[in-house]
Amino acid sequence: MTISKNKKNIVIIDLGISNVQSVLKAFNCFEQNVKISDKIKDLNEASHLVLPGVGSFEKGIASLNKKNLYDTLVNLVEVKKVPILGICLGMQLFATYGFENNVKTKGLNLISGEVIKIKEMNDVRIPHVGWNNVNFLKKNSILINVEDNSNFYFTHSYHFNCSNEENVIAETNYGLNFVSIVKKDNIYGIQFHPEKSLKFGIKILNNFSNINAQN
Amino acid sequence: MSYLQYCKRCVIPSSRPHTFIDSEGICSGCRNYEYRQYINWNQRKKLLLQTIENHRNKSGYDCIIPCSGGKDSTIQVLTVKEMGFNPLVVIITPCHPTEIGRKNIENVKNLGVDAIELTTNPVFRRKLNKYCLNLVGDISWPEAVAIWCNVARTSIKYQIPLIIWGENPENENGGPKRNSDVSVDEIATHNHRWMEEFGGTLGLRASDILFDLKKDGVTEKDIIPYTYPSIDEIKKNKTLGIFLGYFLPWDGHSHAIKAKNNGFQEYHKNVEGNIVPYENLDNYQKRIHDYFKYLKYGYDRVNDWASIAIRRDRLSREEAVQYTKDVSGKYPWEYMGKSLEEVLSFIDVTVDEFDFICDKFTNKNLFKKDSDGKLIKDNLGNITKNNYDNIKE
Amino acid sequence: MLKIRIIPTILYDEFKMVKGINFNSWRTVGNIIQAIRIYKIRQVDELILLDISATNKNKEINLDLIKDISEDSFMPLTFGGGINNIDQISQIIKNGADKVSINTAATKDLDLIYEASKYFGCQCIVVSIDYKIENNKIVIYTNSGTKKTDLNILDYIKNLEEAGAGEILLNSIDKEGTMSGYDIKTIKLITENSGIPIIASGGCGKPKDMLDLVKKAEISGMAAASIFHFTHNTPNNIKEYLQENAIPVRI
Repeated sequence: MTISKNKKNIVIIDLGISNVQSVLKAFNCFEQNVKISDKIKDLNEASHLVLPGVGSFEKGIASLNKKNLYDTLVNLVEVKKVPILGICLGMQLFATYGFENNVKTKGLNLISGEVIKIKEMNDVRIPHVGWNNVNFLKKNSILINVEDNSNFYFTHSYHFNCSNEENVIAETNYGLNFVSIVKKDNIYGIQFHPEKSLKFGIKILNNFSNINAQN
Repeated sequence: MSYLQYCKRCVIPSSRPHTFIDSEGICSGCRNYEYRQYINWNQRKKLLLQTIENHRNKSGYDCIIPCSGGKDSTIQVLTVKEMGFNPLVVIITPCHPTEIGRKNIENVKNLGVDAIELTTNPVFRRKLNKYCLNLVGDISWPEAVAIWCNVARTSIKYQIPLIIWGENPENENGGPKRNSDVSVDEIATHNHRWMEEFGGTLGLRASDILFDLKKDGVTEKDIIPYTYPSIDEIKKNKTLGIFLGYFLPWDGHSHAIKAKNNGFQEYHKNVEGNIVPYENLDNYQKRIHDYFKYLKYGYDRVNDWASIAIRRDRLSREEAVQYTKDVSGKYPWEYMGKSLEEVLSFIDVTVDEFDFICDKFTNKNLFKKDSDGKLIKDNLGNITKNNYDNIKE
Repeated sequence: MLKIRIIPTILYDEFKMVKGINFNSWRTVGNIIQAIRIYKIRQVDELILLDISATNKNKEINLDLIKDISEDSFMPLTFGGGINNIDQISQIIKNGADKVSINTAATKDLDLIYEASKYFGCQCIVVSIDYKIENNKIVIYTNSGTKKTDLNILDYIKNLEEAGAGEILLNSIDKEGTMSGYDIKTIKLITENSGIPIIASGGCGKPKDMLDLVKKAEISGMAAASIFHFTHNTPNNIKEYLQENAIPVRI
């Protein structure tokens, strides 16, 4: 199904494990054709998909399976090339594997890499909570008019270790540098919470919504 | 859903900011009034005279009297003149001035005083009325803050350290500090902290407005009249604000009578939404300001005035409760001859926008709701409180 | 690098915004909606909202109010007050909260923290600890500062970390509302004996109080209430002051 360039139909996928209302509210700042859903039918009609999430990797995958969304999602993203934005745990679920409490869980494998705990070091308290700089490594359409090195709101204990350096768009320092934005083709992942990061966070969401399905 | 607790003596509810109802069920306003019998008013009066004497200065004026033209400021001017002092009257033009208010301002001047009037940029102020109505549910924020800041600034500019305010509203209505016999500086002083705590700023600062509206072209110059002078300037000038109400047993009703004998004009009937004809006559927006107190806290000037009357044995509590049912909290369709629509369009707000804002600030727990949780409104748009008096245990 | 957060705290009793001194003498200082809207335009780092009446009055969580508040704000919100089961946490998060703060219930049942952390993720779970100094010992109190416990604070915090708490909100009852400076000694002790983020609360009266604290203890955030109600200071001017003194903050 071809989606016309101008008609948007943004679907925020509700895994039942996070505050989807905040994400909806943030999108509503500039776009009204947004809805929250966990129905396959709605996902199939989406021009853009958003996958927010907080909490456990294992639970996230379990929820996708329970709602029968795993295969649909992979198909829409890899075959139909629908732009998708993963936020926080949502981004982490794109990985090949997630490691949590010695348990290895298979991820969506949309971007090669693994999710591991933030390294414990001096002065590094876990979880990583608060405002931190995001350092852009590459130019990208979701970063248009967003100032490099701006602060965004993070709250997580795990991070995405990308296999391919070309997928890393931005990184953030907390003890060590970790990946804060990933991209592969139509797949975008953000570790921080754009819906909680005020002006530039909203701008990123806006930029994402302007990404064309055909690109 | 929740029920308001009311003072057992008057009709002030515990929801009123800064008011405290004690274990006997009596509010701090009533306790403050009770305390008056122990006050040595002669001593207080001497202290007032002494304070004014101590602040004699080279400017030629003994003090500043902020004046709205109302009954209280009329009395402030009369009192200070009767004592033989020479005040400079400072008038800050109200946001939406009424005819009768204008007349009363001229009347004060004709009591025989020098007066200066500052009108803050009315174009910007109308924008602020709208902005503050929307942001903090208070259309009168610009007026209250303009008064505090510019009276203080005038004191510094003219080098007249002493400012004589009128009633200490926190005393009559039950603020946290009682009028005990301590020095002038501690209790009676109006200062920066007092303004932040009780002056109706609601936590909003001029710097916040600038921060938010910079993108719309608002500059530092625009917010000067809403910025309090620096602590250094205040200290250097030794600016001191005192409440006349600390030194004299304040009574608004008696003031109205005396003021009328001196040319003050009251309204031809009780103003809409109130039970007296002699208050809030200077600004058409006053009813909206009052209405929002009702939406937020479940009380308004009817509660205040009825309670003032109860304390002075002019009204029984039953009558007072009845007034709150009949008069208090009604949708502000009209005020002093102007419709709500007219008053709102003055600041470029529609009635629909107004209703939306009302809804935002209404404490829905205090009012009757239907089974869907929506506020029940009668055909005039009035909402009803869950209780107008204490619930019987 | 990670910035130090300046977090205004709003205590409320239904719709009224309240403030007290030493967890007592509560008085209404305003209306919660207007306060939220002001903080929104100030673009504060985060907000903590605590319902002080909930545990003692055994009331149900006011979800409508939480919804109203979160509709109006875009910054991270932590809600606390009377939370003692998973279902409540779920409802609160659904209605717009990003984190919840649990106090009394955590002292009674560590399993709640464990389960909540597993279910919602540790970053959603803040444990709030109120304490007084009595005979040079740190004594933990519950139920809005009315019930004394015999918990050892360092052991308690260690257990909370193991159970999966994400952050600790540490409140000094002695200092609360006094605007006489933070209890730096205790806060320093706690930060030196914990691995999760600590937010300090109680006693801030002027910007220098925050500077003094952050120079001496490794806190992740500083919460304050009275300074924002009763002085002309705002989070922004405090941050500017901190930045001038080389403290990393978000401006």
